[in-house]
Amino acid sequence: MTSEAKKDAPLGRVIVITSGKGGVGKTTSSAAISAGLAKQGFKTVVIDFDVGLRNLDMIMGCERRVVFDFINVIQGDAKLKQALIKDKRLETLFILPTSQTRDKDALTKEGVEQILNELKAEFDYIVCDSPAGIERGAQMAMYYADEAVVVTNPEVSSVRDSDRVLGLLSSQTKRAETDGAEPIKAQVLLTRYDQARVDSGEMMTVEDVLEILAVPLLGVIPESKAILKASNVGTPVVLDEPSAASRAYEDAISRLTGTQVEMRIQGERRPGLFQRLFGRAT
Amino acid sequence: MPSARTAPFQVRGRFLTVLALRIDSDVADDAFHAQLGEQLGRTPQFFSGAPMVLDLAQAPGLQDPDRIRDLVERLRKRDLRVFGVQNAPGLDAGLLGDLGLIPVSTGRDAPIAREPAPAPVAAAPALPRPAENKVIRSPVRSGQMVVADQGDLTVIGSVASGAELIAAGNIHVYGTLRGRAMAGCHGNENAHIFCQSLDAELIAIAGLYQTSETLDGAARDRCTHIYLENEKLRMEVIA
Repeated sequence: MTSEAKKDAPLGRVIVITSGKGGVGKTTSSAAISAGLAKQGFKTVVIDFDVGLRNLDMIMGCERRVVFDFINVIQGDAKLKQALIKDKRLETLFILPTSQTRDKDALTKEGVEQILNELKAEFDYIVCDSPAGIERGAQMAMYYADEAVVVTNPEVSSVRDSDRVLGLLSSQTKRAETDGAEPIKAQVLLTRYDQARVDSGEMMTVEDVLEILAVPLLGVIPESKAILKASNVGTPVVLDEPSAASRAYEDAISRLTGTQVEMRIQGERRPGLFQRLFGRAT
Repeated sequence: MPSARTAPFQVRGRFLTVLALRIDSDVADDAFHAQLGEQLGRTPQFFSGAPMVLDLAQAPGLQDPDRIRDLVERLRKRDLRVFGVQNAPGLDAGLLGDLGLIPVSTGRDAPIAREPAPAPVAAAPALPRPAENKVIRSPVRSGQMVVADQGDLTVIGSVASGAELIAAGNIHVYGTLRGRAMAGCHGNENAHIFCQSLDAELIAIAGLYQTSETLDGAARDRCTHIYLENEKLRMEVIA
């Protein structure tokens, strides 16, 4: 649908996937979002900013193809082209893995900026997978962002950390520091959402979360076995067989590209059961 | 000495880090300590390690060397960092030195530098200094601190848990107040706090505070006006 747009100058949008709290689904979402954007025909690269705790390459299923990494490029030991890994499933998708042996001090503002500028000249979307926390790695991942996807679980500590990160996005980034620049467009992606637990009062509702965070909702990803399964085999969930989670990600990705998609919150259970019955019958 | 004496109080707006304990009884006996312990126990993390000044204006009897020594020791055992004493002219400097205490002559009753001296050009004494009010048009997020050092603070949006508002004057929140709000930070007891929905971690006016655990249940999640009356925080539901 965007094959014509592809021939134009690249969009060069930098999107940071961040959260503050760990374990909420940043890397899974980075993999899904970058793969989903690439699937729509956008030339996309996903960068792992979690120096020292490299994971994205495994979720993307390219861990055995890493030769040079992000840090090698920053330090001038390798060219960007040498470090970019082309995805085997989608020709518009690239991965820039990080180093497992260095630490976050290896990230410099200048180095990151230079690489992002090079990537902007060639890619439509540059997806930055932020590490947890609000220290250097996370700061570097968000600093040059144009947009932010704040991954949040429907529970209080995750929401509070997301709120903190939203504060940093509006104060400690290039766009925030540049006079007259449009602020970073931040949206919240609610993950691991379990309708049954919301109904029983164990989890916060979408409305509760949005009331606190006061930013637009990008999507609601249901808690799903499909995600764990996809991660284990190194496939972004949107490239795996269809599931409630992959559909929710597809919707979120469409919204990210500016398409209006009606918000539907799907539980795994009902469609899953229906599909199973349907699957058996055929 | 002078610099040590004023420094803890000049941390503008962060008066929370310096608490004054006004003692209204001449004898700090076991009952006194039990009651104090109960009060501290309600919000232990708030008091843990908090620097503290003793105000003995209502308790001249505590100027007795043995009594003050005992009191300070017992407070310090509770991890309260007692460093100063107020309104105790009868205590001699040697004893204070032994106890590691500083006589502090200023306090909430005599606020320091409420307004910086007007610029020499605008020397007309009757001319009131224009208040420097601050209006924040976005939500105040966890970890952010907004200070209106010389006026009112208005927030159009919510104040998240873990955020902090500090104002010399009134605080208005057009949204839910979930964080901390401290009005009248230079000692103005006529400061007010207004919020559209009250769910605060802490509210304080002129240093008198309440935490979420002691908030008036009737005001919770309601549009509330908070003010001081007879040295007590009053919460009035206004809508």
